[in-house]
Amino acid sequence: MSIPTLQGLQTALSGLLADQQAIDVTGQNITNASTPGYSRQVVQLQTNEPMRIAAIAPGTGAGGQLGTGVMVTGYTRIRASYLDAEYRNQNTSLGGASTEVEALKQAQSAFDEPSSAGFSSQLSEFWSAWSSLANLPASEPAKVAVVSKGAQIASTLNTLSSQLQTVEAAAAQQYAAIAGPSGEVQSYASQIAQLNQQIKQSLLARQQPNDLEDRRDLLLDKLSALGDVSVTAEADGTDTVSFGDAAKPLVQGPSVNWPQTLTAAAGGQLGALLGLSGPGGALAEYRGALDEVAAKLASTVNALHTATPFFSGSTAATIAVAVTASEVQTAAPSNPGGNEVAIAIAGLRGGEADQRYGALVAQVGSAVQNAESDEANSQAVLSAVGDQRQSVSGVSLDEEMTNLVTFQRGYQASARALTTMDEMLDTLINHTGAVGL
Amino acid sequence: MSTRVTNEMVTGSTLASLNKAQLALQRSERQLSSGKSINEPSDDPVGAGQAIALQSTLDGLVGYERNVHDGIAWLNSADGALTGLNQLTSRARELILQASNGIDSQADLNNIAAEIEQIAESVKQTADTQYAGQYIFSGTATATAPYQQGASDAYAGNGGSIIRLAGPSAGVAVNVALNNVLGEGKAAGDGKLLDTLRTIAEHLREGTPAAQKALSGEDLEALKANIDALSGLEAQVGAATDQMKMSITRIEDLTLTTTEQLSHVQDTNFTQVAMEYSNQQAAYQAALRAGASIVQQSLLEFLH
Repeated sequence: MSIPTLQGLQTALSGLLADQQAIDVTGQNITNASTPGYSRQVVQLQTNEPMRIAAIAPGTGAGGQLGTGVMVTGYTRIRASYLDAEYRNQNTSLGGASTEVEALKQAQSAFDEPSSAGFSSQLSEFWSAWSSLANLPASEPAKVAVVSKGAQIASTLNTLSSQLQTVEAAAAQQYAAIAGPSGEVQSYASQIAQLNQQIKQSLLARQQPNDLEDRRDLLLDKLSALGDVSVTAEADGTDTVSFGDAAKPLVQGPSVNWPQTLTAAAGGQLGALLGLSGPGGALAEYRGALDEVAAKLASTVNALHTATPFFSGSTAATIAVAVTASEVQTAAPSNPGGNEVAIAIAGLRGGEADQRYGALVAQVGSAVQNAESDEANSQAVLSAVGDQRQSVSGVSLDEEMTNLVTFQRGYQASARALTTMDEMLDTLINHTGAVGL
Repeated sequence: MSTRVTNEMVTGSTLASLNKAQLALQRSERQLSSGKSINEPSDDPVGAGQAIALQSTLDGLVGYERNVHDGIAWLNSADGALTGLNQLTSRARELILQASNGIDSQADLNNIAAEIEQIAESVKQTADTQYAGQYIFSGTATATAPYQQGASDAYAGNGGSIIRLAGPSAGVAVNVALNNVLGEGKAAGDGKLLDTLRTIAEHLREGTPAAQKALSGEDLEALKANIDALSGLEAQVGAATDQMKMSITRIEDLTLTTTEQLSHVQDTNFTQVAMEYSNQQAAYQAALRAGASIVQQSLLEFLH
């Protein structure tokens, strides 16, 4: 049995088409080299069904299979999903740590320590004012100094307390903005649900939706900064997305379950914001400690200043000086002109109020330091995982250029094969049997 | 599969290392320009707490030093006044010895009595010595003169003590109870200095043999006892002054060690940080150079 005359043309044609498609895919890779979330694609080539030839060797009668060229079976997205899971894990940690660093640093800068303008310096000046008053117990200017230094530390405590409250309120607002009806969670979730739907349909139509999957993965990456994300790939190509510690999945097929209740255990930015702003949160704790400083200050000074309380209020927000300069007490009523009260109050320096405040500053500092080191760690791991992921999915221009040269040469060679066959057919059709013409 | 290196990875890691190098530079720069190794509590939370406590201790020491200087000035005033009183009482003793030799006329004795009364007024005037506008012998009633000029010898002050703190719970009394030596005069009949002087003047004016006898006998004894009591006060002032002066040395030592500790905790170690700074600069420049040359390279340069 012989081979169809024009088969060679078809084979060469399939090569031209395959190389052309491969060059198209290379072009797509090159143009998307810097597109966020893009995964490189490769063209899947496969040989065509061979032509079965019953007997090509008349002597032995042995048959054979003649190749009929190449076909493109699909475009594959190169992606390692286990790296995605690890990347999102780290992204959640980083989102949480960055949010904490930002808020805690604001709290830290409110304290303005150590500096000559901070509360500790003012408190020290207050004790010094009492010490000066002890030397001149009858001096009006020394009493005025005591009252004005007292008013200064009271107002600094008021301001500090309200600054901490502002940071706390800002955290709560930020949570509401992200988790709210027009927030990022809602927006990402509905886009993911929509992509789920489109991907499912594409798969039903037997089209591999590479770019849609990239977009969905990118949205999941972004979502992971806001809270813990765990993704279950369903058989129909949709992703079921669990978010934070929400009771129901955030996205299931084409539907979105949001808003739901989260707690500080949700991880990511939202978890951190809840942890900062909640009733037992870090900022509330600092305000509580500041209240203790105010209470200790008021109670220790008032216990000695027995004639009238020197400070009124026992929280950082409410503490105020309750006496005028003429009411400042320097000695027991039975000892006019004495200075034992002034000496005793000056002796409170380095006492409970000072110690509690020093401990608070160290506590805030440690919290910032821990959050910063968490942030740096997650950042380092994230970029390592990101690099691994880039190593698998990223576009290497060198590689694409090499492929381009390969496919271009392939195309040229297929064209040359076509030309050769054309010349053979020319000989056969136009020159064969035309003797003497 | 071998590790593929993509362009994004190269640019990403170049950028990350530039950022890191710059962050380190910024930290060192801040330490060098502020002179402090702790600019925020998070730089060293424990150190920040320590620095706050040490700074307060230091401020307290400055207060103690001021107290001590104030106390010493107060004690010096008291010492001056007591020296004056000593001279006055010595003069009174001389006058009594002179009067008791029995050869003076009554007119002479009357003159001596007038001088003794003048001495009593001077004693009260000296007791009204002030330091920085405060009466130093009125106890804690520093706004009130202890004695009024004139016939009344009543003490107007109180028995309180003026305390200057020379250290935590190291209070030193800087006033002495001069009224215990001066007494409240004839009206009280307490045998103290003013009473003694007034009695002597009376005895001089009386001029009777009994009065003469009293002058050279019990009056002289009483005056001697009063002079001894004054010396006791002088010794008390001297001891308090010594205590204050020793406190100054101790406070200065403490100030020095606390300042050193504080500097150790919060000041920049310039040599070390300057060294780190130049290392970081070198690292930053290397990162810039490597980035600049590696990011440009690609196969595109070589394909035609």
